[in-house]
Parts: sequence; C-alpha cells; structure tokens
Amino acid sequence: MSFRATAAVWAGKFTTKILKLAGSGGTSLPGKVVLKICPDILGHLAKDMKIICVTGTNGKTTTCHVIRDMIEAKGCTVFCNDAGANLLGGVVSAFVGAATFGGKVKTDYALLECDEAALKAIVKHFGDLDVTAVVTNVFRDQLDRYGEVLTTVNKIRAGLEQLPNVKLVLNADCSLTTSLNDLPHSAIYYFGVNGPLYEGTSSDISDAVYCIHCKTKYRYHYHTFGHLGGFYCEKCGYKRQEPNVSLREVLEWRDGSEVVEMEVFGKTFQAEVMLPGGYNLYNALAASVIAHLIGLPEEKMISVLGGLTTHFGRMEQVQLGDSTLNMVLVKNPAGFNEVLQFLIQQRPDGNIVFGLNDNYADGKDISWIYDVEFERLTEAAAGAKHFYFTGKRAYDMQLRLKYADFDTEKFCVEKDYKTLITRLEQSGEQTFLVLSYTCMLEFRDKLSEFIPLEKYAR
Amino acid sequence: MSSKKSLHICHLYYDILNLYGDNGNIRTMEKRLAWRGIDSEVSRISFGEVDKTEKYDIIFIGGGQDFEQELLVKDLFTYKADWLKDEIEKGTVILGICGGYQMLGKYYEAADGTRVDFLGGIDVYTTACDKRMIGNFVYEYTKEDGETFPIVGFENHNGQTWLGDHVKPLGKMIKGFGNNGEDGTEGARYNNVFATYSHGPLLPKNARFADELLGVAYERKYGEKLSPLEHDMEDAALNDIKKQLGC
Repeated sequence: MSFRATAAVWAGKFTTKILKLAGSGGTSLPGKVVLKICPDILGHLAKDMKIICVTGTNGKTTTCHVIRDMIEAKGCTVFCNDAGANLLGGVVSAFVGAATFGGKVKTDYALLECDEAALKAIVKHFGDLDVTAVVTNVFRDQLDRYGEVLTTVNKIRAGLEQLPNVKLVLNADCSLTTSLNDLPHSAIYYFGVNGPLYEGTSSDISDAVYCIHCKTKYRYHYHTFGHLGGFYCEKCGYKRQEPNVSLREVLEWRDGSEVVEMEVFGKTFQAEVMLPGGYNLYNALAASVIAHLIGLPEEKMISVLGGLTTHFGRMEQVQLGDSTLNMVLVKNPAGFNEVLQFLIQQRPDGNIVFGLNDNYADGKDISWIYDVEFERLTEAAAGAKHFYFTGKRAYDMQLRLKYADFDTEKFCVEKDYKTLITRLEQSGEQTFLVLSYTCMLEFRDKLSEFIPLEKYAR
Repeated sequence: MSSKKSLHICHLYYDILNLYGDNGNIRTMEKRLAWRGIDSEVSRISFGEVDKTEKYDIIFIGGGQDFEQELLVKDLFTYKADWLKDEIEKGTVILGICGGYQMLGKYYEAADGTRVDFLGGIDVYTTACDKRMIGNFVYEYTKEDGETFPIVGFENHNGQTWLGDHVKPLGKMIKGFGNNGEDGTEGARYNNVFATYSHGPLLPKNARFADELLGVAYERKYGEKLSPLEHDMEDAALNDIKKQLGC
C-alpha cells in the first residue's frame, strides 16, 4: 500500500465523517476526493479480494441483494456499494468505507453494482484480479442518454474487455447480453428461463429484432418478456445458449412470491422465490449462479431464496393510517411492463398512483410510456377506485391511460404530493404507487413528513 | 359486408422504426376514429414485397436506430420506393417522423461528405451536424383555412434538414431547434405528406393535429368532413408542457 493510497483512504473516511455530521445522505463525494488523490485506488484496495460486478439495464439492485444473502449464507463476508451509488465515485466510497485506516479491506468479497456506462472506469484497475461479472439484461433505457440499445451493449463490452480473466455470468435469454460471449474470459455461465413465463406473452415490443451478428430477423421458440426468450438466427446460427442455471417451470404464482422448479448445474429442485413478479425470477437465477460458484449448498440456496424480505425487488410496503402503500420504481418500458404484469396478478381494487417526472435521471424524453403495454392492465384494474397521476408529466401519463381505455371518470391529476398523500391516507385503501426515479425520491421525501421511512438510496 | 366507414392505416417498417413509442401514433388514430364510430384496419408492413394493389388511406413511418438503417435503405429501394413515391404523388396521407422524415427526403450527408441516398419523395435533404438537437419543443401549425394551433413534442436528432423549393415547412418554430436550428422552420409538407422531427408519440397530445391527418384522409375517401371530437385531456397535457417550457 503506497503512502498516496493510504492518504486517499484517510481523506475519504474524513469526508464521509464530515458528511455524516452534516446530515447529508450523499455517497459519491468521498469517492471523488479519494480519486483526486489516488486515481488507481481501486487497484490497491481490491488487490486480494474476490470481486463480483453486477451490471445490465434492469435488476442490478435486486440481484446484488440476493447475491449478498447468498454470500452471507456461505459464512463469508462482503461489502457492497449503496444501491443507486453505482458510478465510479460511489464504488470508491464503498471501498473506502470498507477499508481499515491501514488501507486494507478485510471482507472476502466486494459486490459492486455497476452502471453500464461506468463499468469501464470501475474495472479499469481490476485486470489481474479475480472478477466475476454478471450481466442481468440489456433493454432500452433512457434513450436520450445512451442513444440506442447497442450503445449500452458496447459500453458494457468496453468495460469487460479490460478483464481477460473474467468469469462471465450472462442472461441466456437476452440476445444482446449473450453477444458478449465472444469477449476474452476464463469461464462463462448462463442463466435463463426454459419456457414462456406467462400465458399469451406478447412480443410486440422488442429491443432486439434483428440478429446482432448478421442482421437477420430472430426467430423464437418462445418469449418470456420483451426480447427475452428462446431466440435463434436461422442464417448465422447465433442462438440462445443452454443455461447452467435455469427456471424450468413456475409451479405457482403467489402474492409476492413464486414457487418454481429450477435446475442448478444439473440438479433439479423446487424453491419458493420471495420476490414479486416474473422479472425478479431472472435476478434470482443470476444470483443462484453465483451461489453455486462460491460453493453454497443447494439447501442453503433454497432457504436464501425463500427468506428474501419484501423491500427487495424495489417494491416497498408501508402503512399510512389505514392505507397500505406499495411503492415500486419504474425506469423503462421492460421494467414497467413487468410491474404491470405484477399488478394484473394483484387485481387492484383500491388506488393506483402513476408518477412521472422528466428530469435527467428519469429520462428527459417520456415517449417510452407508449411502449408500456397499459392495455394489458385495463381489464384487471377495472375494479380500482381511483387512478391518480402525479409528477411533472402527470398529464401525459393520464392521457396514456385514456388511450388504453381506462375509465376516465376515475382519473385524478394531483401534482401536489402533500395533498395526494392526505387523500391516500383518508381513503383507507390498498394503494399501488408506480413512480419514476426522481418522482419516487420527491414523493418519499414528502411521505417521510407523515410516517418514518427507511433511507432510500440516491 | 358492413356499411360502417373505415380507414386503412399502414404502419410501415413497424418492427424497425418503432424506437420511441411510435405505436402511440397508431393507437391515437385508431381510438380517435373508433370514438367517432369509424373503423380502422392497421396493416403492419416490414421488409419484403409490398402489395401494390392494397389501398391505404394513411401511411405512418416512425423513427429507428442506426443499427438497421443500411438494411432498411436496401429494402426501401428494392421493394418500396416506386410504390411509396406513387402514393406521395397520389396524395395519400403520409406521416413521417424523425428517421421516417429523413428517409422520405433525398439523402443524408455525413460529416465526411459521404452520402446515403434516401427515397427522394419530398424535396428535402439532411446533413450531419456535430451538436445534438434534443429536448421538448413547440411549433405552430397553420391549417389550409389559416387557423393555427401549437404542436408540442420531443426532438432528438443530429441531422440538420434543409427544405427545397417544392416543399413547405410543416410549422414555424416557437421553442426548440426544428429542422436545423437555424431557419426557424420545422418539418415539411408536400401534397399530403406530413413530416416532422417531433418523434415518438406525437399524436396523442396533439389531438388537433391527429384530427387534421385523419380529416384529410377521411375526406379523400368519403368526400365528407370528419365529425368534431373533444380533446380536453389531450389539451391539458399539451398546455401543461407548453407552460413548463414558458410558452
């Protein structure tokens, strides 16, 4: 450990302390201070560790939570960056937080949620280290930021290219993710779902219609959602790889969990996955690959999957007077469609709140709400009492639902969070809140004036 | 045979030019017809032969990503160019958005001077530009009878489009960049081609513009005016974002 690196760690810890005293929730500033002093700090701090990076468009946070539980169930120690603090600064802050004043990190694993575009900078000094990289999926996300979906793939590629000995864990059902399998690696593992997840899964909205290698239209044995499924290209032969960890069947959809039959490296067993919605099953599968790789026995893996707590899956339940609020974050069409699938199963009979902002972190362009298949929810939500719309683009969201044939008599635009919260409290109803990122932050800030809330990652 | 009136809508390259919620435009046309008791049939056309005997009242072409552009241009010239030019000259209502707009024009010229030839159906061409023109924008549309109304959308392009003598601008910029960020014009109008950079779901909150397109197509087919239809919720969305933009 060089003097510079040690000094950087001290400076980082000092900044963190000051921020804590000031009551700020900021997590990336200490990282910036550290990098100023020692740009290759991560190479120093990560030297003797096993590193797991989780990247991809959707499911990073949930996958990290499940992996963390798997590692702890094995009896190993791990530190993670805070959810949302997934740029270089946030990762550095996490390392500094985990390091001793002597500049040593004493946990067995570093588990890092990495923004796709930040991956390259994060792994820059990890070239010779023991790194496992999980890519959850690639979907269209905030197109005004990344331009097109292939740009996202290329950003992940640019990161992984720096890791010639990486162990890759890829989503077999995602043609964009699987295309990373031509990168140098020491091992490669796939996870996937072996059949359609829901009845009548539509494939109208696809982020990858044409073969990434030869531009021929993909054919599918089945779809799970979005462009995920049993894809193959008739022309060049590019196709879904046989997964090492797969979901064979959903035996039962329960309220907030699923009973599934899964196969993990050749062994088949049943498990209850305590995460709501089919999209979260992919996250459970990805984490199960890691569980196997770290040598966690199957029975412990099953017990982890069955013991996950509810704020996973970015769905959070709180009680507001007699009203139960279920809050869920939406970032892009694929994620939103999966939330709708979850709502369809719930058959809501209370309130549904849709909140949409168009700040930078939400995506300035709100066109994507027309790629969300609200039409599939219309009938299942016919018993709901009110549809509330909030956030800067509340009126656009309201209009979207008008064109999806929702009952406009039940519509109410309420941009003032305080008034909205009061109305929800007075209703005494089960309420689902589906909110874009900054709308979630603003809403929770206001809600915390009414009831105590856990800190939300920023 | 039902006597109910119906418009036939072609969603051209529906599976490629659908990058930004373009389906919202089809949905809006279908619903605004249905709410008036008029049927619609949507034909979704991709690569390959197009049935030239099929009569379309409205052809919609959306925006896409660069990945498929080469394929698209090849298909355009192999199967669609003559047909589409013919439809333009016949006066069929065509809505081209963003990539679909550029593609109806003559060519795209990259920064190094290389050109990609496009349809040449309308007298516009596009040149590369190093700045990205991005954001919510507002322009003013003028109807044949002189009545004007605002159109609000989101633009995201780094091509600058320049209008030739044979087309009129679709509108006059109020806020944002428009065709090229320089001459104050937005979009292009030629015969019944309506082309604009207002990408993705342009029609939902611009109900008056949606009704304008539907009205032209309906009148061409049935020789009568389209009945009026309320658009309060649409105007609420339009006015809200206009206000946020300070217009």
